[in-house]
Amino acid sequence: MKLLGRLNSPVMYMICGSIIAFVAVICVIFGVRAYRTGKALGIDESKMKRVIIASATFTVLPSIGILLGVIALSGSLGTPWPWLRLSVIGALHYETQVAEAAAEAVGIGGLSIAGMTPEAFVTIAFLMSIGIMWGMVLMIVNGKAYANKLMAPKQTDRKTKKGRIDLSGFGDTAMTAMFIGLVSAYIAGYAASIISGNGAFTFTGSPLPLAVAAVSSAAMWVFIRIRETNGAEWLDSFSVAGSMLIAMISAIFFGKIM
Amino acid sequence: MNNERKQNEVYTQYLENTHRLGRIFTAAVLILLIGAPFLMGAYLGAMPNLSAAVKAFLGVGIVYLISCIVEYLIYLPMLGAGGSYLGFITGNLINMKIPCAINARDIVGVKSGTPENEIVSTLSIAASSLVTILILAVGVVLMIPLQPFLQSEALQPAFENVVPALFGAMACKYYRTNKKVALIVLTFMILLYILVPSLLGSVSMMIIPSGALAIILSYLSFRKKEARTDA
Repeated sequence: MKLLGRLNSPVMYMICGSIIAFVAVICVIFGVRAYRTGKALGIDESKMKRVIIASATFTVLPSIGILLGVIALSGSLGTPWPWLRLSVIGALHYETQVAEAAAEAVGIGGLSIAGMTPEAFVTIAFLMSIGIMWGMVLMIVNGKAYANKLMAPKQTDRKTKKGRIDLSGFGDTAMTAMFIGLVSAYIAGYAASIISGNGAFTFTGSPLPLAVAAVSSAAMWVFIRIRETNGAEWLDSFSVAGSMLIAMISAIFFGKIM
Repeated sequence: MNNERKQNEVYTQYLENTHRLGRIFTAAVLILLIGAPFLMGAYLGAMPNLSAAVKAFLGVGIVYLISCIVEYLIYLPMLGAGGSYLGFITGNLINMKIPCAINARDIVGVKSGTPENEIVSTLSIAASSLVTILILAVGVVLMIPLQPFLQSEALQPAFENVVPALFGAMACKYYRTNKKVALIVLTFMILLYILVPSLLGSVSMMIIPSGALAIILSYLSFRKKEARTDA
């Protein structure tokens, strides 16, 4: 608990807040430049204003969902660091997974304030930073060349030879498969630890993580069903964070009986 | 004609400067983000354990390395240069920035690859990022008085189960449309952990065999579907 106090100290707020402020300045610079260039190109100003207003209003609900993510992570990592990660570069699902993997590698078992040490925290923070930086790296190294290539006229259309499988559509499937593998590694771990968590076939492991995952999954299913039947697309912004919060609340009750 | 040439010059100059500024700002943010853990470490009296970070990166980080490359290849054509620099800096791409930019583009009716799209995407992502930053800042300030409550013992089971809560939600999202693959991979992994319990201590490393199995199964299913379509 003492460490959590330090993770929430003014110094930590200052470090994280100043980076967020810097990113806000970048957004203003890019926005103003785009607006001025739009005017010079003869784009209707009312159109650009509509874009700004529509984007700002579109963002309000998802941002509240992201705020729930900050709350979810604040119990184990303090508030300033999740605030920075989710304001600037990250996404809730990524931050939580990477933090868990780093916590495990650093030897504190999992993402929890109970076993957290200063070294574990900074290692988790470091891994969160390097794990998802590749989009930025690619933009620095190759962004201009790739953008210019996209603007150049296309020479020929790619043809698929008869009898050969065209793998161009496999990218999406492979990404989904990779996430299935990722999720399965963890969910299977929760299930198997009930049976072999304290040694093979000892049946003394805690069922709590599996129960929490089941509640979260059920909540997510309800969100998806509501979205599908009522066309409530705005629910997408809340479904993951909302399911997580419902499951986390259930953990408080499960914790008393399990 | 003259006006058109002038507009072309303005746009070319804008793109040139966008790349220059984009690279400088992206590099600066990258340095700040990597430097922040060390700065916080200096305050907390500890430095990152690099060998543990490498070990964890080899597990879960590899997945995101590939994911980042794919996102870069797909999203840059959609967002244009300015939108992409901002999008990769501010994150939350798939769950917010991409739908937001597409929504804005649809509202004003511009096409991909045009100067209008470049401007609209940049404006959209800049506005969206600023709103997120503002809402999170207000939310975090409001959270400060709630901290004693959030740190109470009674709430600890909730915070200790953030990860299972996340994977439960994600499982529902990914499993429901890929039931066969999910069932086989999940069963295989459960049996593996039960029979070799020591693997439960390094679940993040087990993402590699689990992911590989899922990709192989998906590839076989994809080939089957393609062959059926060809026939």
